[in-house]
Amino acid sequence: MDRIILITGSRKGLGKLLCEYFLKQGDIIYGCSRRNASIEHSNYHHFNLDVSDESAVISMVRTIYKIHRRIDILINNAGIASMNHFLLTTFSTAQKIFETNYYGTFLMCREVSKFMSKQKKGRIVNFSTVAVPLHLEGELVYSSSKAAIEQLTRVLAAELGPNNITVNAIGPTPIQTDLIANVPKEKIDKLIQKQSLKRLGNFEDVLNVVQFFIDENSNFITGQIIYLGGIN
Amino acid sequence: MNAIIVEQIVVTTLRNCCLNNGLSIEIKKDTSLIGSNRVLDSLGLVNFIVDIETAFLDIGVEISLTSENAMSSRISPFRTVGSLCRFIENQLGLVNG
Repeated sequence: MDRIILITGSRKGLGKLLCEYFLKQGDIIYGCSRRNASIEHSNYHHFNLDVSDESAVISMVRTIYKIHRRIDILINNAGIASMNHFLLTTFSTAQKIFETNYYGTFLMCREVSKFMSKQKKGRIVNFSTVAVPLHLEGELVYSSSKAAIEQLTRVLAAELGPNNITVNAIGPTPIQTDLIANVPKEKIDKLIQKQSLKRLGNFEDVLNVVQFFIDENSNFITGQIIYLGGIN
Repeated sequence: MNAIIVEQIVVTTLRNCCLNNGLSIEIKKDTSLIGSNRVLDSLGLVNFIVDIETAFLDIGVEISLTSENAMSSRISPFRTVGSLCRFIENQLGLVNG
């Protein structure tokens, strides 16, 4: 049976690549982003929304449920970053980052897991970053929002485990996407030197971990954060 | 939608939740959902709340039992079957005040 997969932040970057990959596998994908869709496919359905808009998230998730009566997989990819020294970070920037990264993940998890709880089955994959364990300077708010996602991942794993829902997170290294487009090359190079495996990550590295988390055989894997590149 | 259907959905959903937990009890309006006489444990109550929302959604009626209103009320709407029915009737505009 085709899987019903919800992927947030699907207009570009990793989210778009994940959508395209799973579409090729024959899955039915529901994506969302603040701007219009960039994917055209008969099995791709797009919602224009801000993941921190509670009513919009509720409406999207209920729409999917009403059509399919199930949601198999949720991939919380949507995220924004802002690199700056703590002393130069505005409060509104901090709020925006937490709204999209943490509250967006929180809302999607809450609404989707309601239906996963009913079906007593589900897979949730969240996105963290190696910036959390590396305590990177200049990434306080971004990495704090991701640290919050890690904690959410572990607690949800415990709370949703009885309903056979697994919740895990991947912490990618820098990957050549828009998210790091404005980060100076020296900073990226310095970060890569902290990894055991000293290279940029790529989409296939992320896909490999996502596939592991959502695999039917991974039903005993939950509450885990897997970092790429040998970071721990 | 009317108060009778609301009560039927709530009672049927609760009965199914109880059966899933190996409980076969008579469900009345004063059946407790929280407190020392509750019929479900905390996880059972969470699943019950989710099942109620979904049961209404299945017949095309949208309610939210995790709304600010429900969760922050001074007196919880989840006290008894009757109080939950009244809360849902209010959300659906079936009663005045």
